[in-house]
Amino acid sequence: MNLVMKWQTDDAGRRAFLADHPDSILVSPDLPLRANLSVLDNIALIPQYQANLDYDAAADRAWSLLQRVGQSGAAFKRDPDLSHEERFVAKLLRAAIGRPPVILVDRPGMLLPDLHYPPYLEALLGSLADTLNDCWILDYTWNAPLYPNR
Amino acid sequence: MALLAPFLIRRGAALLATWRIWRDTLRFAGRATVTAATPSAYNSATRTVVMKQIYFTAWQILPGFTLFAALLSFVLIQIVVTTAAKFGLSDYALEVSMRLLVLELLPLITALFVALRSGSAINTEVALMKIQGEIEALEDAGVDTLRLELMPRVIGGMISVLALTALTSVLALVLAYLAVYGLQWWSFPDFTRVMGKVFDTPVLAGILLKSLAFGLAVTVIPVAEGMATPRKLFMAPISVLRGMVRLFFALMLIEVASLAFKYI
Repeated sequence: MNLVMKWQTDDAGRRAFLADHPDSILVSPDLPLRANLSVLDNIALIPQYQANLDYDAAADRAWSLLQRVGQSGAAFKRDPDLSHEERFVAKLLRAAIGRPPVILVDRPGMLLPDLHYPPYLEALLGSLADTLNDCWILDYTWNAPLYPNR
Repeated sequence: MALLAPFLIRRGAALLATWRIWRDTLRFAGRATVTAATPSAYNSATRTVVMKQIYFTAWQILPGFTLFAALLSFVLIQIVVTTAAKFGLSDYALEVSMRLLVLELLPLITALFVALRSGSAINTEVALMKIQGEIEALEDAGVDTLRLELMPRVIGGMISVLALTALTSVLALVLAYLAVYGLQWWSFPDFTRVMGKVFDTPVLAGILLKSLAFGLAVTVIPVAEGMATPRKLFMAPISVLRGMVRLFFALMLIEVASLAFKYI
């Protein structure tokens, strides 16, 4: 996995960046989970749809990813019952399970408001390193001091 | 003139808005039909949504709706049989009750019931998906929402309307036999002769077409209305209200067109 920071100075710049990269799969506060599906089904839906896997095989893949990041307890919860952390993990795994070339995490501070998110993100993405290709983090320059290693 | 101009502009804008939503509905109906007729559009995920739709639309309501349809059919058959006997027209009682129930009332009542129960739910769900950005999120994740979320609802709804209409019609046939001939089997040839006269090939094709049109309307109109909802939460109830009113008029229009085609 190749983790890259994409710093933006304002919202207009962020929007322009997103418009310039329409092929990246977004993990964003603006793109919610399907509210009437569990976390497991939200993640399993992608291989079920894209690779025509039957539900059990797709759910097994989703379950193994959830176990790997230590969030199997959230598997059967739906969006309104999730903590910020669980919701973020669900969105990230929904993006990751299809192994897209680029995953773009948009404004992680909005997705994880209750966490010191830079080290959390690094640890989480590190645990998924072999299932991810490029992962770009889109954050504002004023949050740069929060990322001591970047 | 100063008063007339703003009035005409307002009416014109309202007319254009109505025209646009009907145009979008027809466009969506066309796209959903083409997608549904494409074998490659079906995969494990779409089949799951179709099955869920059939479960929620037809299977869950089966006992209650069947009981209601049986009760209604029994009462109407009894009214027709008693009235026909009073006027010395008992020979026509079976034919009249079948024309009334199977050709006209049961398909319409089934469509109205499915519209109230599932059409409103589909309209609300799609409107909320649109408002909250769930459609956009799925598209971003590489999922074609027409294939995964919308077309399977149309297919599931159509299958449900057809299945419920067929089931309640068969039930009405059984009840009509019992009401006219009683609990015995030797009048079965007479019964089948009358049924053969009522349900000839053009009539059967007509019922099938009408039920298909009902099934298409009860799913396509709520989905199209939901997709046309602006991304504002307060618009959700307005979307459902509009969708249900348009659906009611569409169902009535199909029924009137079918009656006019048959009897005028």
